[in-house]
Amino acid sequence: MATKLATRGLGKSFQKDGKAIEALRGLDLDIARGEFVSIVGASGCGKTTFLRLINGLIKPTSGTVTLDGADVSAPGANIAFVFQQDGLFPWRNVLDNTVIGPELQRKDMNEARRTASSFLNLVGLRGFEKHFPHELSGGMKQRVNMARALTAGADVLLMDEPFAALDAQTREIMQAELTRIWRETGKTILFVTHQIDEAVFLSDRVLVFTVRPGRLKEEVTIDLPRPRELTLKRAPQFANYVDHIWQSIEQEVRESIRLETEATLAIAKR
Amino acid sequence: MPTSIWRGLLSFGVGAIIWEATARYLDNKLFLVPLGAIFDRFMEMARSGDLAADASVSFIEFIGGFGLAAIVGIGAGIAMSASKRIREFFDPWVSMLYATPTIALGPLFMLALGIGYGSKIALIFLTAVFPILINTVAGLTTTDRVLLEVVRSFGATRMQTYFKVRMPAALPFIIAGLRVAVARALVGVVVAELFGARAGLGFLIFRSAQVFDTAGLWVSVFILAICGVASVEFLKWVEKRMAPWRFQNIEDE
Repeated sequence: MATKLATRGLGKSFQKDGKAIEALRGLDLDIARGEFVSIVGASGCGKTTFLRLINGLIKPTSGTVTLDGADVSAPGANIAFVFQQDGLFPWRNVLDNTVIGPELQRKDMNEARRTASSFLNLVGLRGFEKHFPHELSGGMKQRVNMARALTAGADVLLMDEPFAALDAQTREIMQAELTRIWRETGKTILFVTHQIDEAVFLSDRVLVFTVRPGRLKEEVTIDLPRPRELTLKRAPQFANYVDHIWQSIEQEVRESIRLETEATLAIAKR
Repeated sequence: MPTSIWRGLLSFGVGAIIWEATARYLDNKLFLVPLGAIFDRFMEMARSGDLAADASVSFIEFIGGFGLAAIVGIGAGIAMSASKRIREFFDPWVSMLYATPTIALGPLFMLALGIGYGSKIALIFLTAVFPILINTVAGLTTTDRVLLEVVRSFGATRMQTYFKVRMPAALPFIIAGLRVAVARALVGVVVAELFGARAGLGFLIFRSAQVFDTAGLWVSVFILAICGVASVEFLKWVEKRMAPWRFQNIEDE
């Protein structure tokens, strides 16, 4: 399969309280066109930083990000971000929220509204165009959020724990919906999550990151048949994948908790 | 009509009955006069044209002072929100003047600017400008970080971020500032005229008191109260129309 997105030697350090903190180190990744890849890891493994680097929201300290062979240096129309918080504009109705991408890129608005309508339809929000965000449930807001990213016309969607704030049942439904939307649109998706079962259910490939600095610890190809239904979560192979990834991640989670405890104690001592 | 309006009317009705009963019981025409007498005085004053003349003077002062406060408050707010340096330089002054009862400067303005419109507008401006300024700055500098990140991820320019995110997010704050300022400006009108004037609703209160015309005094107070309530309610309505999401929790109760 053709490579859509690639990183070479990607690294990022931040300055915090005068100390340099290395968030990511030496990431070499190739994401194929139309592939669904999830990233899991303990808190502080640089998952979100990774997505922000790919989007061009922040600049890498070292290494490169390329999309279709060209360097990504600033946010653009080809890569769209789906944030954990829905990030909808409360003063705009659903349709006006959905067209913000083309609007900012000064595209033809009539066409943008048509595209937005069809994507709202795809995410199951037909008839909600004139509603305002405060009238929607959490799950519906995340659907708008997805429709907005799709309407921006990007080939690559970066999703940063988009279902984390939803209740367990809604989350399951949204997972099933996302696989359907992914199948129907053929987008390349990079998905960050804390939920291992979510990663296994959605992905072709799961990348396990180590704790700070974030590096690639393990890469697990999910060889489960598609299309996938939620009942797949009860299959023994599914449980095996979840188990395997959990074991890979467990040590990292312990390390992450240790680092957090140390940091809290250091603050308490000051 | 919603029940809330009926309850409001009922509340006013009960208030009027208590007023009337107290006025008749006390029988002190210098302090509390029956509502009927106030209404009669109102009709009398309206017919003679005195009331319209006084009201229009106050109205011009109010529009001048409040209008100026809105323009300067929003303008300066935008300037202060644009740069942290400008903000930090002016912040102590704004905080100090906002907390100071600027009304106390009334006599000073009278000395400097005379008893015409100038001194009134200056005092009203000074009482009204700070809530507008402070709310404009707060609205423009507390934009939801997620929203800013969203437009940045879609490649928004600085101008786009300003006009499509920061400004609309600040608008409800600015209107809330105007609402607070309206009430303060009305106090400014009355106080400015008490310090020295030839006409106006505040001056009418002063003049009525001097000739023991309690009914005339109440006419002026009632007009000011109605104007105050009407303008505050109007701005509340605008705020609700423009930012319904901010009222969600209150209405759910």
